[in-house]
Amino acid sequence: MVFPAKYPSLNATELTDEARSVLIRVIRVAFPHESFPDGPYERTADKILDEAQESTWFRVQLTQGLLSLGQLAGGDFRDLPDEQALRVLRRVESTDFFGFIRRTTVLNLYDDEEVWETLGYEGPSFDKGGYVHRGFDDLDWLPEPRIDYLPGEVLEEIAPGAPVPTSWTITTQAVPGNQPGATSAQGREARK
Amino acid sequence: MMASQDQNEETVVIIGSGAGGGTLAYELTAKGIPVVVLEAGPYLRNEDYVNNEWEAFNQMAWLDPRTTSGSWRIARDFPNLPAWIVKAVGGTTTHWSGATPRFKAHEFATRSVYGRVEGANLLDWPLTLAELEPYYDRAERAMGSTHVHGRPPLPANNNYKVFAAGAERIGYKHYATGPYATNAEEYDGRPASIQDGFNFQGDKNRSKWSTLVREIPRAESTGLLDLRPLSQAVQITHDSSGRADAVLYLDENGTLHRQAARVVIVACNAIETPRLLLLSATAAFPDGLANSSGQVGRNYMRHTTGSVYAAFDKPVRMYRGETMAGVIADESRHDPDRGFVGGYFLETLSLGPAFLAAFVDPGSWGPDYTRLLDAYAQTAGLWIVGEDMPQESNRVTLNTTVKDENGLPVPNVHFDDHPNDAAMREHAYAQAELLYEAVGALSAHRTPPYPSTHNLGTARMSERPEDGVVDRWGRAHDVPNLFIGDGSVFTTGAAANPTLTIVALAIRQAERIADQLRTREL
Repeated sequence: MVFPAKYPSLNATELTDEARSVLIRVIRVAFPHESFPDGPYERTADKILDEAQESTWFRVQLTQGLLSLGQLAGGDFRDLPDEQALRVLRRVESTDFFGFIRRTTVLNLYDDEEVWETLGYEGPSFDKGGYVHRGFDDLDWLPEPRIDYLPGEVLEEIAPGAPVPTSWTITTQAVPGNQPGATSAQGREARK
Repeated sequence: MMASQDQNEETVVIIGSGAGGGTLAYELTAKGIPVVVLEAGPYLRNEDYVNNEWEAFNQMAWLDPRTTSGSWRIARDFPNLPAWIVKAVGGTTTHWSGATPRFKAHEFATRSVYGRVEGANLLDWPLTLAELEPYYDRAERAMGSTHVHGRPPLPANNNYKVFAAGAERIGYKHYATGPYATNAEEYDGRPASIQDGFNFQGDKNRSKWSTLVREIPRAESTGLLDLRPLSQAVQITHDSSGRADAVLYLDENGTLHRQAARVVIVACNAIETPRLLLLSATAAFPDGLANSSGQVGRNYMRHTTGSVYAAFDKPVRMYRGETMAGVIADESRHDPDRGFVGGYFLETLSLGPAFLAAFVDPGSWGPDYTRLLDAYAQTAGLWIVGEDMPQESNRVTLNTTVKDENGLPVPNVHFDDHPNDAAMREHAYAQAELLYEAVGALSAHRTPPYPSTHNLGTARMSERPEDGVVDRWGRAHDVPNLFIGDGSVFTTGAAANPTLTIVALAIRQAERIADQLRTREL
């Protein structure tokens, strides 16, 4: 047991509608996004409740954990303002039940089309022809960059100051970039 | 046309169909040599892929249980997911981004050039850049690498525009949109990129090179390829003379099969390759097949990596376009004055919200975390990929207490950063922050390494049998007809993304094997 049984309510093992609404509040406080509507939070809560049904142990932990928030809040957790609610969650951060909520939320809240839309992500694109004609290069607040290596620019592969064995012939390479050209190094033969 | 070979016929058996195995299958069948390819995963086609991060992950990733240990953060955040690689026909080439830099000459001789590095098990490759260059050329042509052999560069996408402008402002010179093995224009029978932004999820458009779109179908068309998907190799057996004589594998129903072999080539990526060798221990090879050196599974490398995501006050939309079509090579040089040996590349990278949430700062929550995601559309991202030090204690072993669904011990991956790795990562994070600040970033976030996509070194090449597992041709020092054909053979990791080098080595190895089959040396 995570908490002593002197609080009889902590022995509750079935999740109630009230537990669901506390859970939604927990997710909102732990993962605050002003722009997100309620839908994604509710769906995430339901996902957590579903997963909890698959394991008695998770269900017990979650039920007790959510009830314990009331103890820590000195009342109803849902009534706490954001700042105080966040402080309560910091106190249970290392518990299994909060870890379960955190993991499941990270994996599900952001895998949600309504969330994508809110964040400005457009989701699947292949069926729309990709972005080749839909703005893959529409950023206009920086200069157009070059896309090729500078002709004749030589990458110095070994800094001049680097101590290298005399058996190693240092040569530099011609462009393109990191692609060795005709002058590539022929050094070595030095082996341990 | 798919061939079918008798299980009792001694043939060339390739285990794995990715960068190494798929390339070997094509190169050998093209020379008239029949091969059997055992692929653990299913035969997914390009049209099966989905533009959804988690759905694609569950469809493609190698999700069989693995365990982790060591001080790397992966052991805490993703204890059962040390590596993010693919289990399907085409292997991890179906998921890779596409960057194809070559190794530099000195990166084949790091023990000589870097000198002695405390705690590192550096060794020179028994191979030089000059020897590999013709094969790099062939690999680049096969893969359609941009910027070389007449292949045009990809255009600048939004994430690259931020990356390149930042690079220019902090004085970097060696940046471009490649080399990158995705078509900027139609090439080799495959179309130009439509910049759909999905790489790790498989490329539905077939613009990105993979063995799934090139080598496997060509090998099939020779009529000499017997490709067996959903066939998980579990043991390589040997005869009384110590030659490999068969591969035991499980089909999708868990039924055990035996395929007789004249030559066995293992190309299962650097976790499953040593696992298979260790699972093949016998009285004659008590520490695992081809392991007289004790180096099987050791010197596991994963590149020194990390990401930086920077938020701006204007839109970026990094998710549009080719994920990694942006490379800065300036820091890939060897300059010990930076406080570490070896070098690193910076490459563009983007994730969708679902994966950014999972990986940007694992374990994190609260307002600081959600701010990172609120800035999604104004965020630019890059990846650090640099040479890490081989260490004997970084190691793939068999976990004797955790079994997979077939009752086989799962691989455990142990990893600790070397101080050189940590110093390099720190330098790279700082440079990336400077880069983004130079173009007006409001904030920049340091993201820790993802589960390993580059797995290397666990059956390394060495001149002397006591220093490594395979010789300069990838042939096991201990077993004359056993070859390793994947990144496990890397003696050291270099800064470059490894796929091009794996393909180049596989083309070279196929030539060697074909020659030796012809002259009856094999």
